[in-house]
Amino acid sequence: MERPSLATNRPYYEVIRDLLAANIDGGRLPVGTRLITAAVADRLGVSRPPVKRALARLEREGRLRYSRKTGYVVGAARDGVEPVRLNLHALDLDLSGPLSPPSPQATWERIFQTVESDILNCMPFGTYQISEAGLGDHFSVSRTVIRDVLSRMQDRALISKDRSSHWIAGPLSARMLDDAHAVSRLLEPSALSAAIPHLDAAQLTQMRERVRQALDNRTAVSQPTIDVLETDLHTRCLEPVRNRRLADAARLSQLSLVVNRLFGTYIGVHDETEMLMEHRLVLDHVILGDGAGTETALRYHLDADHQRARARLKVLSVFSAPEIAPYLIRVH
Amino acid sequence: MGRSEILPPPIQAQARQDLDVDIDFELIDGIEGLQRAVTRPDSFDVYHQWHTIDLIWTARAVQAIDLDRLTHGAEIKAMASAGSGRALATVFDKLFLQKDGKLGHTPSNRISMLPSIHGVDAFGYLRSIRESQDQQSESWGWLLDARWHGRAAITAHPVLGIIEAALAVEAAEGVVFEDIGNLSIEEIDHVADLLIRKKKIGHFKGAWINYEDAARLMQRGGVVVQSMLWPALTRLKGQGLPVCIATPREGSRGWHADLCISAAADGDVLEAAYAYLNWWHGGWPSACLARQGYYATFPDRVRRHLAPEEWAYWYEGRPAETPLRDPFGQVCIAPGETREGGAHMERMSTVRVWNTFMDEHTYLVRRWKEFLDA
Repeated sequence: MERPSLATNRPYYEVIRDLLAANIDGGRLPVGTRLITAAVADRLGVSRPPVKRALARLEREGRLRYSRKTGYVVGAARDGVEPVRLNLHALDLDLSGPLSPPSPQATWERIFQTVESDILNCMPFGTYQISEAGLGDHFSVSRTVIRDVLSRMQDRALISKDRSSHWIAGPLSARMLDDAHAVSRLLEPSALSAAIPHLDAAQLTQMRERVRQALDNRTAVSQPTIDVLETDLHTRCLEPVRNRRLADAARLSQLSLVVNRLFGTYIGVHDETEMLMEHRLVLDHVILGDGAGTETALRYHLDADHQRARARLKVLSVFSAPEIAPYLIRVH
Repeated sequence: MGRSEILPPPIQAQARQDLDVDIDFELIDGIEGLQRAVTRPDSFDVYHQWHTIDLIWTARAVQAIDLDRLTHGAEIKAMASAGSGRALATVFDKLFLQKDGKLGHTPSNRISMLPSIHGVDAFGYLRSIRESQDQQSESWGWLLDARWHGRAAITAHPVLGIIEAALAVEAAEGVVFEDIGNLSIEEIDHVADLLIRKKKIGHFKGAWINYEDAARLMQRGGVVVQSMLWPALTRLKGQGLPVCIATPREGSRGWHADLCISAAADGDVLEAAYAYLNWWHGGWPSACLARQGYYATFPDRVRRHLAPEEWAYWYEGRPAETPLRDPFGQVCIAPGETREGGAHMERMSTVRVWNTFMDEHTYLVRRWKEFLDA
């Protein structure tokens, strides 16, 4: 699934302003059209505050005029066109670009995955405090959005509040790995098995081929290559799952992948033959359309990966200061 | 690369004399040694590991040692299935490289580390406090006893310290931890919270990094009871302080230290590394360390390098017939003294828990740091 390309640091109202400006300049929003905030927000499928700011901006730019009686109207006053209220849904607006698909993600969703990965990448190394203000500055988003993101992370047991009400992440404990693994081995095999009918055969063959090449080349496999193989099996293969609750829950419990990737990055990739053979076994079952076999093979792989991650987490514990995001403050 | 108590200057000098290689000894007492071993295997050739084999093997920082290249390699296999090998299960459990590439107990021709020395540690105290303890048998609870407020100390090392602190908390509070060698998050919190509270009210005079600091704390710092390593005890005894190491009724903390070869060593360096390992296995260095209370994993090799009265005192637990000297040549044991805890195997049988990197080590280190910073 393509994520809307909104993961920029630009304020949302600017995105809306650009969209409206393009439609005005291209004539799709005719001169004289009254733009009422609520109606525009409804047409675009977004909330009102950014629309309000975008309209004010467009007025300053001269694309709109404003009067207390009519509100915002497309075009300058000298155009002399009478304001008219049109059904915006009836207009053929060009809403392609950053706002498509039609219902854009809530703002928190745009930054959730980035914040999630920043936090996961620091957790094996100690305890970190998350600065709400720092997060807001870093992503140019409001406190409301930040709280949305953080409370969702709290729901997923990734962060918690300490006694002085600071947001705290880490340290990643063996128990968190155990707990995540217990969930993972229940969910991910069923999710993958459910995905089998929807997976593209050509894509699967490519994945299988990538594993074969890595196995041939076992001493010289790089971390980026491993990343691709892990993404193939643990992310891309789960994408066609219709049950998003299942797929999302499975994805959120893949903590061992984080540990293994950090280990590969900080210590270096060693012999990953076993992991590669496990991947090959799972993919072979998927390619044959064997659901039960897929589940068994994936469960075996998850168990083995969990043991590797546990051992590797101990090694990571001797490190102290990896590169961390600017909004994270090391506590212990 | 190794810790200071394992590589005292006399061992360094003798190695340089006996071996036809130029050796640089790097002494690192903190966790930094392990960090270096894991991240830069090319920065050392031989590592005197202490309970880190799990980590350094997982990180592939060390290479398997070929028994055929060790002069007395056969002894190691024989020891693994003998009684004393079983007594030192923690040494032999993850010694041999198995067919699947993992470490295990079943003897093979390749080992992860060359077993060298081991021992059992407990807290030390000034004999004078014995009376105040109403002649009770020695207990880890003494470390937290309010009577020694401001006069107690503990090791700053998280791996050693958490175990000693947990033993002390068990004794002081009458609680039982499920597996003291692998504490859960709640148990770590329990111990850490109590330590932090005690530290804030001024119970601890200090937390020491190495045995020399420990000795100074007792010598000049007014400390009467604290975590203690044997070389600190022999140092203090040599200075005439009436100090002893406890044989606590709750059991003691066992440890072993062994030799590993860097994954990066090859060619001449690898040859030299094997020569160094063979030199250690030959017994002279372990005999030297026997004079500070350490046991060799292969005691027979050590005996020939010790005087009969040294062997009798350190290994057999018999009274010293003559004044005995520490590794530096200073007299530390007066005639007539008997080693606390008795003979070798008697003392090793008091091991309640071995040094280990627990599953929740990351969590533990964080709480331990909080204690040190408190």
